[in-house]
Amino acid sequence: MELKVYGHRVSQPSRAIMIFCKANNIEFEEVTIELPKGQHKSPEFKEINPMGQVPAIIHGELKLFESHAILIYLASAFTGVADHWYPTDLVKRAKIHSVLDWHHSNLRRGTAAYVFNSRIAPVFGLPLNPQAAAEAEKFLICSLPLIESFWLQDSGRFLLGANQPSIADLSLVCEIMQLELLDEDERDRFLGPYKKVQQWIENTKNAIKPHFDEVHDALYQVSATLRKK
Amino acid sequence: MMKLKVYADRMSQPSRAVIIFCKVNGIDFEEVRIDVSKRQQLSPEFKEINPMGKVPAIVDGRFKLFESHAILIYLACVFPGVADHWYPADLFKRVKIQSVLDWHHSNLRRGAATYVFNTTLAPASGLPLNPQAAAEAEKVLSSSLSKIESFWLKGSGRFLLGGNQPTIADLSLVCEIMQLEVLDEYDRSRIIAPYKKVQQWIEDTRQATRPHFDEVHKILFKAKARLQKQRSVGENIETQSSFKTTLTSKM
Repeated sequence: MELKVYGHRVSQPSRAIMIFCKANNIEFEEVTIELPKGQHKSPEFKEINPMGQVPAIIHGELKLFESHAILIYLASAFTGVADHWYPTDLVKRAKIHSVLDWHHSNLRRGTAAYVFNSRIAPVFGLPLNPQAAAEAEKFLICSLPLIESFWLQDSGRFLLGANQPSIADLSLVCEIMQLELLDEDERDRFLGPYKKVQQWIENTKNAIKPHFDEVHDALYQVSATLRKK
Repeated sequence: MMKLKVYADRMSQPSRAVIIFCKVNGIDFEEVRIDVSKRQQLSPEFKEINPMGKVPAIVDGRFKLFESHAILIYLACVFPGVADHWYPADLFKRVKIQSVLDWHHSNLRRGAATYVFNTTLAPASGLPLNPQAAAEAEKVLSSSLSKIESFWLKGSGRFLLGGNQPTIADLSLVCEIMQLEVLDEYDRSRIIAPYKKVQQWIEDTRQATRPHFDEVHKILFKAKARLQKQRSVGENIETQSSFKTTLTSKM
């Protein structure tokens, strides 16, 4: 049964899905939805996801959107996915749900809106919005120290004191990688104070090489182009 | 074995969802009230339970957990006697529920909570009303209600995702919409009127979880009555002063 992943490599949650599939040898067809061209709002794509957002998947009769739901589905449906990604232990699993939920209204809300409104809106034909960026920045500035002091507090190399990555590490690190689209100085200003966060990003990259870097290649290219201007 | 503890404020939508779920499913628990209007969620004692300083949170034995969706999933899985329909074992059904619960954060919750806060409840927390933030939030709220009406309630079932019995998603989202009860009645009606399926679904969810749904929502309805009284007193004062101005100008 064929798995189709609809996404765009500039989209943080799209990258998380693709990296997860590659790291777990899950075969899939990658269908690029051209966000800058507004393809996500097309009637054809809205048949797949009426919310007009990426990522979305089709697997047999299942159409699914929201990256956390997709990650949970893939981890559960495909044999051969190692337990550490989405443990069967209910307590560990609940903690993963907790950080994934926290993510929506905190790290994601801050990072995505900040990068969009201060940097990449023009790629989508929209103006920069300094006021929206300033609002978003507050969320970003509050979220990073909470990851540093709480979500990474135990001795493990990954979130929640784990020694192997879970779907939560993948989701949150892909979000933080979006800061690569900023100028280096600005990115360093955000991440500089947080040594554990920086180490955790490295740990996650290393645990999932070469797929992590390969899927982020498109992002690095866009970043290089923006930084030249 | 220590009893489950649920730290909650019944004025908080996700707190109500967790409390109703426990009562409906006969889960034995101790409710510990954390009064958000008195900023108790920021106390050092509560931050031991949830460093994020938010309700609801639970303690089950030595295990602490926050974020209401994570809590609902945990309770559904851990307590025997919870009927399957709340969080089905079937993977397809389960991930569809996950999908709407995820969508909820950035859509209905963001819209509804922000709108209610900035038009009505902010003063209870010592903050000013914010009409601009309210206007932004209303767009998100209306768009979300529209999506529930046309997509999430599609199909012949009485509940989200075409189901004929409620899931944790129904409970979470309906408790959120109930917060609109504290709005000015004209405002609330205006916002919800276009959505007939949504209105029916709220009623169906209420019926499916009675009497607990109404019992847990009592404090919200008390707040609603208090606010309505304040509004009508405020209107009377305005009417009297404009009457006086009319008299004065005629002299």
